[in-house]
Amino acid sequence: MINFSFDGKTYQAQKGDTLAAALLRNGIGLVGRSFKYHRPRGIMTAGVEEPNALVTVGDGGRTEPNTRATDVFVYEGLVAKSQNRWPNLSFDIGAVFGLAAPVLSAGFYYKTFFGSAKRWMFYEYFIRKAAGLGNAPTKTDPDHFSQRAAFCDVLVVGAGPAGLSAALEAAEAGKRVILVEQDNILGASLIRDGQDRDGAWVEATQARIRAAGGRILSRTTASGYWEHDLVTLTQRVAEPGQIPMHGVAQRLWHVRAGQVILATGSIERPMAFGHNDRPGVMLSQAVRTYVRRFGVVPGKRVVIATNNDDAYKTAYALKAAGAEVVAVLDARPAPAGTDSGLPVYNNAVPLSTKGARHCLKSVTALVHGLTESWDADLIAVSGGFTPVVHLHMQAGGTLDWNDAAQAFVPAASRQNVTTIGGAANPDPVFNVVPVSKPKKSFIDFQNDVTLSDVDLAWAEGYRSVEHLKRYTTLGMATDQGKLSNMAALGRLAEKQGVAIPEAGLTTFRPPYTPVTMGLLAGAGAKDAGAHVRRLALYDVHAAKNPIWQPLGYWFRPRAYPVGSETLAQAAMREAKAVRSNVGMTDVSTLAKFEVSGPDASAFLEIICATTVGKLAVGRGRYTFMLREDGFVFDDGTVWRLDENRYLLTSSTGGADRMATHISYVRQYLCPHLRVSAVNVQEHYAGIAVAGPQAKAALAALIGEEPSRHMSTVTAMIAGVPVIVLAASYSGERAFEIYVEASQAGPVWAACEAEVAKQGGALYGLEAMEFLRIEKGHLVVGGEVDGRMTPHDLALDKMLNKAGGYVGASGLSRPALSEAGRRQLVGLEAIEGDIPEGAMLVTGEGVSPQGHVSAAAFRIMDGGSIALGQLTDGFARHGEELIATSPTRGQMARVRVVAPHFYDTAGERYRD
Amino acid sequence: MTDVTITALPAAPLHALEIWSNPAAVATRFKKAGGFALPAIGRSDGSDALRLIRYEPTVWLVEGDVSALSGILADDGALTAIGGSVVRVQLSGKGWRTLLMEGGVFDAENPNFASGCSAATIIDHVNVRLHVVDDDTCHAYVPLSYSEAMIHFWTTAALSLTR
Repeated sequence: MINFSFDGKTYQAQKGDTLAAALLRNGIGLVGRSFKYHRPRGIMTAGVEEPNALVTVGDGGRTEPNTRATDVFVYEGLVAKSQNRWPNLSFDIGAVFGLAAPVLSAGFYYKTFFGSAKRWMFYEYFIRKAAGLGNAPTKTDPDHFSQRAAFCDVLVVGAGPAGLSAALEAAEAGKRVILVEQDNILGASLIRDGQDRDGAWVEATQARIRAAGGRILSRTTASGYWEHDLVTLTQRVAEPGQIPMHGVAQRLWHVRAGQVILATGSIERPMAFGHNDRPGVMLSQAVRTYVRRFGVVPGKRVVIATNNDDAYKTAYALKAAGAEVVAVLDARPAPAGTDSGLPVYNNAVPLSTKGARHCLKSVTALVHGLTESWDADLIAVSGGFTPVVHLHMQAGGTLDWNDAAQAFVPAASRQNVTTIGGAANPDPVFNVVPVSKPKKSFIDFQNDVTLSDVDLAWAEGYRSVEHLKRYTTLGMATDQGKLSNMAALGRLAEKQGVAIPEAGLTTFRPPYTPVTMGLLAGAGAKDAGAHVRRLALYDVHAAKNPIWQPLGYWFRPRAYPVGSETLAQAAMREAKAVRSNVGMTDVSTLAKFEVSGPDASAFLEIICATTVGKLAVGRGRYTFMLREDGFVFDDGTVWRLDENRYLLTSSTGGADRMATHISYVRQYLCPHLRVSAVNVQEHYAGIAVAGPQAKAALAALIGEEPSRHMSTVTAMIAGVPVIVLAASYSGERAFEIYVEASQAGPVWAACEAEVAKQGGALYGLEAMEFLRIEKGHLVVGGEVDGRMTPHDLALDKMLNKAGGYVGASGLSRPALSEAGRRQLVGLEAIEGDIPEGAMLVTGEGVSPQGHVSAAAFRIMDGGSIALGQLTDGFARHGEELIATSPTRGQMARVRVVAPHFYDTAGERYRD
Repeated sequence: MTDVTITALPAAPLHALEIWSNPAAVATRFKKAGGFALPAIGRSDGSDALRLIRYEPTVWLVEGDVSALSGILADDGALTAIGGSVVRVQLSGKGWRTLLMEGGVFDAENPNFASGCSAATIIDHVNVRLHVVDDDTCHAYVPLSYSEAMIHFWTTAALSLTR
């Protein structure tokens, strides 16, 4: 026996029980309360279509609300709680809403809660308190969720007799087969009815499928059918709320199938009659399932209501299990066939039920036009069968109307999908038009929608089935209308005076059954959906406990606080170390491309908008790149390492975009060039050493006189070969040292020791930002925002006058030379600190004429400075403006100046 | 449970070999010197001393001793060192195919993806190159910056791996 609890009380289940079976086994009929009226509800079905028995399963972060008791298998220690009730399930204060049902009809919210949006926020609090399903967990889910791909020739959905046979045939024909079944055992209807194929046949068939290489996934639901025969499967590795054995609770499969076979069966329909929602009203096949599969008899005195032959099997099963079948209400006018030995009433339909203490007490029916009643504690209902066509429809399929079965069946599809078995050929039924009073005749049990709600919607002018759905909430929530849609369509067609197919259909959207958010997030749920890119020197930085900054997928040190320093204090100390002495920082994330070959310079002169070909070996220069429309999209440096070998660097944030651009130019624009362009961004780790003492530090490291500004040499540091680029982003004499990433550790250690010896410090991104703003260097994503031309950024003098580069044609468009364009400017504060992102205005109420792209403080002298974009900015130096940030509530008076605040002549680069 | 072991291999010299002209002549020279043909798309060939994996239409990943390759390439191509940017991860055991389906989009379970095959794919959003060494071993070439995360991802996934 297995112990579980429901609403705090411990019970025992048998192995293989669903929670619903275990509750019935323990005599519990009342399981939940309805959404709107808080009506007592029991267990209606034995499958995923269950609309009533919704419970919360699990504890803490594993809590899973709105779990169908019919779709969770009991495990030792399972904790289940009923929902939407207070103070308890048996005595629920919310049931008072049932008394107000006449005014809580369809469209109640729309008719009552109108007014401003603010008022709705007020109403919503009370509505949510009064109505609803379970509560979402507030703690973090401790489990993992996996996402896996799979490919197969044939995907079979549903492991009933048809699905098993199809999977076996395909597997033994040598095809790669995946067979999925949402139950925890295979067989589907065979588990309930056996017929000529018993459990041994099921066992033997699955063994043969496996032996032929087929994959069988149980507890797995095909939740969505997408384009190109992609089907998503949701697999329960552990039951809801259960601690998974190996950490993974659920798995989302992405299956790309050559062919999909749907053997999804059909769902039995309820019938509409008065008080057809109380505990003790169940679907006929569900009753049979509980009797035959679980050995649980849900009632002692049973009424069967049916319009087809199948329900007779339930009567026989109940009789065999010792229950008394007091009446079989058969809606058909004539007897079904031979004498069944059952008390059969033809031309009989249920009218209503009565109950007491949340149990069924009697059933009243209309038999040949006369009313008759029976004492009963269970009514098993079969109103026909609805084929499960959801996946077929999601695949873009169409439906045909099967008049004999009174059901839609799959027709053509634009994907490679076939439906077989009961879903394609549902049993014939007799059409029954409800004769009960519509007010308490429920058709959507989950949303408390009755026949009278459909009638009201019709009376109020809702003609489209889609409008009807939204007005009444019919077909929404966890069961998505699996039981209700056909009843609603029937009523709507009756009102319209048309046949059901003419009344229309709602859309079948994925998922077929509810899917948890964790499953959709997958493994990424733990790190926001993306891996963090680690620097080659990550461990070295981590040991110094820096403040980290996300930069794209990278994490980089923002500052290295000492003692109790704040970020601002640490960054300013680090920046001052660079200005006054020497600092070093990690620049490994910069994009880097090695370009080789006889046509390397020609290739680079297409990529870069500046001249490259005349660069001497061992020299480098600043460069920038344009999109084909002429706007700057990245910048960097280009170095001639050898006669036919260059190193191109560009921004970290634009690295992937630059790699794509280079590939595009290489493969589409210049396939004829004799050149190789290889992304070496991660091959080289980069260390920048900057400051007045940088040259001395580097000389000590490489044992020779460092190269002059914008020159490059190869050298050895700590016995490791390095490339030294004499380049500066800080405004000081500086060097970038590139070393193969796997050997970066010793080089960093040597540099750090030498910098410390010189009295310098490490610096992070924040200090780097201060330094570059003061020097007036651009950053991609800031000043280079995709809307600026070289002219706007005062880079036009550097353009390759020979043209030929990507963007040259776009740049020649007259509009890009007209007045009124935003241009790069510097800003210095006259009063207040300049807020980053502020708008630049000439006065109150005037439209913005630009914005602040980056703000900082002068490092050695103090004072707020910024870079910005300003309309016709080049001609406005000296003008006073207001930099205002309403969202931050900050404002400063600023003066427009040149975008260089430090060493405008570049003296600091010279030795 | 499905058996698979994840091991980061030591850093090794890796190069990108790109051919920009006379591919047929280069291929002939290569076969004559190396004893095997330049692998086609989706293929790899060679030995522990020198292995080539087709990386891109005109690019091969070269693992091992490249000293002879410059002469073979002459002016028809170039070699570029990329070893620092790649971590080689060995997936060994019968379960490597199943493991590669975790977070993947490539059909690593296809029996035709056998020894000597290679592929470029995305696994859990990371670009990864695969090389099937033998039935029980596959090498994955992972970008250095993602290697820690990918090894963690695979190690975690391997704990719950079932077919």
